[in-house]
Amino acid sequence: MSRIIVITSGKGGVGKTTTTANLGMALARRNRRVAVIDADFGLRNLDLLLGLENRVVYTAVDFLAGQCRLEQALVKDKRHPNLVLLPAAQNRTKDAVKPDQMKKLAAALAKVYEYILVDCPAGIESGFQNAIAAAQEALIVTTPEIAAVRDADRVVGLLEANSIKQIHLIINRIRPAMVQANDMMSVEDVKEILAVPLIGVVPEDEKVIVSTNKGEPLVLSETPSMAGNAFDNIARRLEGEKVEFLDLTPTHDGFFSKLKKVLNTKLF
Amino acid sequence: MTDSPSSSVPIVPQESADLDRDQQVRLKSEGGKLLLLLPPEGDGGEENPAAVFNWEEVWQQLKQRLDAGDRFWQPETVVHLIARDRLLDGRQLQAIADALTEAQLRLKRVYTSRRQTAVAAATAGYSVEQQSSITHLNQSSQESGQVMAEPLYLETTLRSGADIQHNGTVVLLGDVNPGGTITAEGDILVWGRLRGVAHAGSKGNTRCLIMALQMEPTQLRIADFVARAPETPLTDYYPEVAYVTPQGSIHIVRASDFSRSRGEG
Repeated sequence: MSRIIVITSGKGGVGKTTTTANLGMALARRNRRVAVIDADFGLRNLDLLLGLENRVVYTAVDFLAGQCRLEQALVKDKRHPNLVLLPAAQNRTKDAVKPDQMKKLAAALAKVYEYILVDCPAGIESGFQNAIAAAQEALIVTTPEIAAVRDADRVVGLLEANSIKQIHLIINRIRPAMVQANDMMSVEDVKEILAVPLIGVVPEDEKVIVSTNKGEPLVLSETPSMAGNAFDNIARRLEGEKVEFLDLTPTHDGFFSKLKKVLNTKLF
Repeated sequence: MTDSPSSSVPIVPQESADLDRDQQVRLKSEGGKLLLLLPPEGDGGEENPAAVFNWEEVWQQLKQRLDAGDRFWQPETVVHLIARDRLLDGRQLQAIADALTEAQLRLKRVYTSRRQTAVAAATAGYSVEQQSSITHLNQSSQESGQVMAEPLYLETTLRSGADIQHNGTVVLLGDVNPGGTITAEGDILVWGRLRGVAHAGSKGNTRCLIMALQMEPTQLRIADFVARAPETPLTDYYPEVAYVTPQGSIHIVRASDFSRSRGEG
């Protein structure tokens, strides 16, 4: 039984595409057959983040128009054979596709792939309606800002109205030091408003920018990073594993924490 | 927020557009069956899409009402759809029937004043009652008369963008998030956090009340009065009641003190 999951947020720029790319890759590394669909017709980005831009020949619209077979439109990942990308058309707009067609598309992919991740465009217009049409589950990405949380709240309401009841929350780009200084909404603040079960907290990490520009998802990186770990943990939680949330308390170098470190190193 | 006097200014009455939009999807039990009333479409839809609900909005309201109240319906209850002058095609009728089936309700009969809707409903196998639009007009004017509708009970979280309007009292078991709105002709009772906008006595009754377990509203309105929450958030919250004082401003008192202060006032 394959799972069709839409990654959505309402607001733009909170990390939907980054999340899709990293989760897709993390699941593929766990030997799952994964298809990621870019549903952002006209403003496609997912191929860039996966570093697959130069391999795109056909797009989802070409397949729906009957100009190619589905297998031709799918772009195999260069690093992982388990991961494929269904790119969006860049020369068309959101209205080029209808919700029914998205359902058809997802159903066709569901025959082969275990996970189908749909990268939803920002907004709640037709692009959003298309992206959620086929989904059974949703991951809401938000940053700890009131505008992002407000939009996420609206989107949760719309998902519920569309009978998508399995909704999980990812809080992205949190800065533990700012939370501690009371300058940023905390995980609890966001959870209290949205009342949706949390599946991951991703800290702000400069490496994300680097990995985005390189087209190398962070979860592939040799050097471990906080954000990469967080995405990997989300993939494991999706798989049903119980994983502790990362300890995001800022590394303040107070006297006691230094003392603790010294004691710990002495002991081992 | 307790006992803090709030600045109040009368709202400019919004006439026409508001009147058209103040009827939402409603579920009403009557004689052992459930009536599903759709908001009328009217004539304004083509020139001014903002004045009436489109299908998407109607659909969302329906889903919201079904999700928010399903604890109270007996399985297999028969539903009569009062479509009024709303144009429904076969697909939309099917969507409504499916949503009802999901809530274990059965669509049996469709009342409509539109020929196309009647044909679609008959094709789908429901019994149809086609009324002329004249009787529909009479009906709707009767409904917007003086008698308030029975209270609307909802069990849900009202999220940003959700907008509940009811010509009676609204009881909500759950939170109103920022960006959510309740407009009621009667009182508003929120058994949860009220962080959105609540407008009680929307037809001008200044004796209406707004009650919440945790009162942190974006804005409170009672009849023509408006109040904002204090700029600095409170640390402790108690169940509170908002009312209009004889001096003409909205006050908020702790629920435990409310009946006493009323007696004195």
